[in-house]
Amino acid sequence: MNLVQQILDGLSSGSVYATLALALVLVHQSTGIVNFAQGQMAVISTYVAWTLYDAGVPVWAAIVAAIAGSLVAGALAERLLIRRFEKGEPLAAIVVTVGLLISINGVVSLIWGTVLKQFPSAFPRGGVGSGNGGTIGFGTLGTIAVLLVVVLALGWLFRHTRLGLAFRAVAANPESSALLGLPVGRLLMLGWGLAAAVGALAGCLVAPKLYLAPEMMDSVLTYALAAAVLGGLNSAIGTVLAAWFIGVVENLAGTYISFVGGDMKIAVPLVLMILILLFKPEGVFGHKEVRRV
Amino acid sequence: MSLMIDLVKPDGGAARRPYGRMLTGAALVIVLAVFPLVMSPFANLQVTLTLVYAVAILGLDILVGWTGQVSLGQSAFFGIGAYGVAVCADRGWPVWAGLLFGVVLAGVVGCLVAVPAARLRGYALGMITLTLPVVAVPLAKRLEVVTGGAQGLNVTIAEAPEWTGLAADQWHYYVVAAGAALVFALAAALRRSHFGRAFDAVRVDEALATAQGVHVTRYKVLAFTLSAVYGGFAGVLYVVAVQFISPETLILTLSISLLAGLAIGGLRSLLGCVLGAAFYVVVPNVTGEVSAGQSYLLYGVCLLAVMLLMPRGVAPALDRVVRNVAGRRGRAVAPGD
Repeated sequence: MNLVQQILDGLSSGSVYATLALALVLVHQSTGIVNFAQGQMAVISTYVAWTLYDAGVPVWAAIVAAIAGSLVAGALAERLLIRRFEKGEPLAAIVVTVGLLISINGVVSLIWGTVLKQFPSAFPRGGVGSGNGGTIGFGTLGTIAVLLVVVLALGWLFRHTRLGLAFRAVAANPESSALLGLPVGRLLMLGWGLAAAVGALAGCLVAPKLYLAPEMMDSVLTYALAAAVLGGLNSAIGTVLAAWFIGVVENLAGTYISFVGGDMKIAVPLVLMILILLFKPEGVFGHKEVRRV
Repeated sequence: MSLMIDLVKPDGGAARRPYGRMLTGAALVIVLAVFPLVMSPFANLQVTLTLVYAVAILGLDILVGWTGQVSLGQSAFFGIGAYGVAVCADRGWPVWAGLLFGVVLAGVVGCLVAVPAARLRGYALGMITLTLPVVAVPLAKRLEVVTGGAQGLNVTIAEAPEWTGLAADQWHYYVVAAGAALVFALAAALRRSHFGRAFDAVRVDEALATAQGVHVTRYKVLAFTLSAVYGGFAGVLYVVAVQFISPETLILTLSISLLAGLAIGGLRSLLGCVLGAAFYVVVPNVTGEVSAGQSYLLYGVCLLAVMLLMPRGVAPALDRVVRNVAGRRGRAVAPGD
């Protein structure tokens, strides 16, 4: 285990956190809600992908199909459930996502049981040498590459398409957007749909590293929440950098500081983040919110 | 039940009149006092646990409902209180010392977290509080010499005195009920005092509160500390109720469940805190009996159903029903809304 390998492993876990964190940011940007069910939604998507794979579909195709299905399911969740709570007490909306989390967990256990399942990696086995005799797995590099593709794709969507422009308008000011004739409701559905799709990708990336289980995403969600908040809940680049920071610091602290060990390694990036937040309360890349009194 | 009957008397305003309130209170006290003598130990434990979590949710309400802050850290304060009293009992110290130690430690940690956190708002604050249970659980496992590690601590505290002739579950029920009643009364008094109004001001508009001479940061820190003290006290009561504490008790899920309980019961309502706690304790048992395999799914569906039917919580919905039945339409603005 050399340092380069440790850092790349950290970046790889960080990329998984970043993918789920991006889903959280998408939901927060569109509807102003922190979706506690995001991880659990990703879990059910991953189970769908596993079922397709189990039925003989190639793993890449299974993942793509699960992502497409999640896009639709996420949009429906916004339209049928979340929309009723968007204008009310924020706590009610958050608790509804908690209810969604618990319910989806129940559905997953009901359909697939609680026995762990092996999820295949979409990347080839083996890896490239990193010097000093270590190897960096293709899975590690592939995870980082997938995240970069997601960030670039989302960036292109939001900056260079009319749809993205409309979405940004709704995120900035729903009332004015509605007056301009933008289909606000449908754009909010799109936000949730995209988030569910990105989350599904995160689930399929993390599943080969662990076993597929109903609680698979619980700890990932904690990291993703941390990354999304540190990134300011409104900046994709900030979120990705925060997630990488968390992944790398956690990995290095767990390996090189003997007191920290495997169980406490999560504390190190979180405590560091708190220190950062104290000096930059709006997050590292977030925009300062100007309040008019 | 007697509460409802009293509130819906045809003369309407019973709930507002002092004697009506006293009658309701007296009836409630009698029902609660007789309950453990006639019910099964299991039912007693359910009510005891409901009161334990009601105190924890009340603490959360002070911070979230009254002052408008977010917290995912309540389970950590619950754990500090519980471990405080359990560790003291484990070393043979008297229970009042453990109580004091647990509650004060929770308050001190709460205050230490609040001083920097009060500068932040919204999700940044949520982030800091999220860290508490995430760190507390492995820490409780790590400090094995003191906390008993992953196995947790079995203790025997608050034993029933001989002369009462009560079984353990009955005595624990009374101890927890008395403790809960005390801190609920304190919260009710606080809510009516100038502190309660200052918390309201901070929640509604910080700038306006400042203009009115309310020191916003100071009141946020106070709300945070109080919330932690209530969380710690609930933890102490929890150990009285079950005589056991383990790291699994203080996981983040408990914090989230307490928030859910608060939303279900309804913000800024003492009754709501109890109803939310009852939902958290009782509903999983009921769904477990309906179908052991799908208990969790049914619990989630119940949670969603309550939020869909009563987005502001059960207590405000109940309140509206009572007002409508009593023919007081048009005056349905509850204080504090």
